[in-house]
Amino acid sequence: MSKHLAVINREQCIGCFSCMFACSRTFHQAVTTEKSAMRVRIYSGTEGAFSIRTCKGCADPDCAGACPTQALVPREGGGVKLIEEKCIHCSKCVKACIIASLQWDRENRVPIPCRHCGICVKYCPNEVIGMIEE
Amino acid sequence: MHRKILEIDLTTQQYRTYKDDDLFNEYLGGTGAATEILTRICKPEVDPFSPDNPIIFANGPFSNMFPVATKTAALFKSPHTGELGESHAGGRLAMAMYNAGINIMVIKGKSAYPVLLSIENDKVSFHKANTLWGKSALATYRILQEFEKNKSGKASIVRIGPAGERLSTYACATVDNQRHFGRLGLGAVMGSKNLKAFIVRGDQYEKITNLKQYKAVYDKIYKAVVESDQMKKYHDMGTAENILPLNMMGGLPTRNFTQGFFESAEEISGETFAVKTLVQKIACAHCQCGCIHLSSLREQFGQDHSYKTFQISYDYELIYAMGSNLSINSTDKILRLLHIAEKQGWDVMSLGVTLAWLTEAYIHGLLTKEHTDGLDIHFGDGDTYIEILRRMTKSHNELYRDLEKGASWCAEKYGGSQFALTFGKNEAPGYMTGENAFTDWLLGVRHSHLDGAGYSVDQALFQKALTVEEQVKKLVDESVYRMLSNSLVICLFARKVYDMETILEGLEAVGEKRDPQWITDFTWKVFRKKYEFKKACGLDFDKLTIPEKLYHVTSATGKTNRERIKERIEIFRKLTGV
Repeated sequence: MSKHLAVINREQCIGCFSCMFACSRTFHQAVTTEKSAMRVRIYSGTEGAFSIRTCKGCADPDCAGACPTQALVPREGGGVKLIEEKCIHCSKCVKACIIASLQWDRENRVPIPCRHCGICVKYCPNEVIGMIEE
Repeated sequence: MHRKILEIDLTTQQYRTYKDDDLFNEYLGGTGAATEILTRICKPEVDPFSPDNPIIFANGPFSNMFPVATKTAALFKSPHTGELGESHAGGRLAMAMYNAGINIMVIKGKSAYPVLLSIENDKVSFHKANTLWGKSALATYRILQEFEKNKSGKASIVRIGPAGERLSTYACATVDNQRHFGRLGLGAVMGSKNLKAFIVRGDQYEKITNLKQYKAVYDKIYKAVVESDQMKKYHDMGTAENILPLNMMGGLPTRNFTQGFFESAEEISGETFAVKTLVQKIACAHCQCGCIHLSSLREQFGQDHSYKTFQISYDYELIYAMGSNLSINSTDKILRLLHIAEKQGWDVMSLGVTLAWLTEAYIHGLLTKEHTDGLDIHFGDGDTYIEILRRMTKSHNELYRDLEKGASWCAEKYGGSQFALTFGKNEAPGYMTGENAFTDWLLGVRHSHLDGAGYSVDQALFQKALTVEEQVKKLVDESVYRMLSNSLVICLFARKVYDMETILEGLEAVGEKRDPQWITDFTWKVFRKKYEFKKACGLDFDKLTIPEKLYHVTSATGKTNRERIKERIEIFRKLTGV
C-alpha cells in the first residue's frame, strides 16, 4: 500500500506556507506559493483559522472523470497524473474537485496534480500534514 | 529581485511602475533603498500631513526567498516627532509585494475622498471608500478579505482604524492578522491622505537558477529556525517571556517608570498569559517560528449565559504599556484595553505612556476633574482607563482629543514634561534597564528599542564590566549592523539565524552577491543618510534630553547619571560622525 498526503492536525497550522513554497520550489524551481499542488487557505473573520486542501488521492478521481480529453489519468495508488500535451486548458478538472484540492496553474493554464511525494510534509514545522497509509 | 518600483499619486490617481537597477545595486532594498528614495523626494521641511509627504514601503532581496524575511519597511516623515518616520511590519505584505512584482511602493498626494487601493501586479484600482471610513481596523480587515473574493493568490491588507482618520499622531497602520506598522504615526499619514486601506496581490515569481545552491542556504536557515533554539523564545512564550526576568532585575517599567519592579508581575507574566489566555500561535507568511500569540477573552454580556469572545494578540511591549506601567494586574483588563487599541489603530506603547503621563499629571494636580470631565484617574484602575479610551474614540473634549497627540505634546500644553516618558518625542519602550537603553532611544534613528538594542547592552553588564566607551560602541555597532538586517528585510527575531556568513551566502544565492567591505560601507552610508535627513528636519543633538524623571529613579543598572548621559551622547557622535 503506498502512502499519500493528508491533513492530520489542521488546528496546529500557523500559516507559514512553508509547505507550498517547498512544492513550488521542488517541481517548478519557483519561489512562490502558487505553483504548489496543495493550498493553505486563509479564512475571513476568523483569525488564525486555516483550511488545508490536499489531494485526497481518490481511487476513482472526479477530476479525471471530468476531463474531456483524458489528460488527467488515475495514478497507481490514488490521485492523478497529467499528460500535458492532451490538456485543452478547460479547467473542468479543478471545478470537478469540489473540495478544491486540485490546484490550477494560472500561468500555464493546467492543473497541478499532487505527486504525493511528501516534500511539503518535510517542511511543515508543526506536523499539520503527513504521509499516511490507508 | 524584481527591482521594480510602483509609484502611486493619490491626487491625480495616476501610477507607474519602473525598474531601477542602480538604486538596488547601491541600496539593496528595504530600509536602505527606502531611505535613499525618501531623501530624494521628501523635503525635510514638509508638513507631515501635507500631500507632499510620501510613504515608501520596501521589501528586500530576501523577501519571500528565505524563511523569516517577513518584514516590510515603511518610511515617511513622522507627524509624531517631526522627523524621520520609520516603522516595520510583518504579516503577508512583503510576500504580496513580491507577488505583485514590486520591491518598493511609493504613495504620494492626497485623495479627494476616502479611498481604497487595490494593487494587483502592476495595476492599481482606486475605489471610493466612504463606506469604510469610520470602520475599525478589525472590521475593515474582515470586510476587505471578502472584497475581490473571486481573485486567487494570497493578498495582504493594510488599513487604518478611526485613530488614523482622526490624525492621532501615533496611529498605526495594521497589516493582516494584527501585525502593525506601529510606531511614529504611519496611520495618521495615511489618514491625512484619505487612504483608508490598500490590498496587494499578484502572481509574479522568481525562477531559481541554481537550485542546489539556493536550497543549501534555504535549508540551513530553515533548520536554524525550526530545529535550533535560536528562535525558541519567540515561539514558546513569545516576547511576553521577558516580563518576569526584567522584573527580577528591576527593569520592568512600573507606574510610569517610577520603579523597575512590579509587585504583581506574576499575574501578568508571559507564563500567566499563556496558561490563562493563549489559544493559538500563528505566523507571518514564510515564517516557521509563529510568534503571534493569540489570546482569547470571554465576557458574559447577558444573564442567560450569553457570552462574547475577543481574540487579541499580545506581546511584551503591550503588556508593559497597558499593564505594569499603568499598574494593571489583570490579564482581562489588559486584553480589554488592547482590544480597543487594536480596533482604533493606536500604537500601544505611545498610548500607554501617554495614559501614564495623564495619570501623573492628574495626581500632581496639573489636571483636574474639569479637564477629565469628572473622571478620577489613578494607577491600577483598569475600568477608568477603558473609559478614557472610549472617550478618546469619541473626541469627548479637549483633553481627550489632546491625548491622541502623545505625551510630549500634552506636556507642552498642560505641563508635567518631567514625567512625559518620551525620547525625541517618541514614547518609551518597556525597558528600565539603564543608560544604554535610554541613550539608544534618545539617539537611535527611530527613537526605539529596535535601533541598537541598548537594553541588551545594559543586561550584558551583569555578566561583564565594560567601560562607557565600550558600551556605546556596542550600541553603535548594533545600530549600524541593523541597516543591513532592515534592508534584507528580515525579522529581527531571526537576527541570530541571519549571521553575516549566512547573509553573504543568501545574497549570492539570490544573485545579489556582495563582499564584506561593501556591506560595511553600505551600512554606514545608510545610517548616516538617515541622520542627515533627521538633522535637516530639525533634530538637534544639543537639545536632546532624557526625561527628567529618569534621573530620580533607579533602573536595573542603578541610578542614571546626568554627566554620563552627556558623555554617552558625545561618544556616540564621535564614533558615528553624526
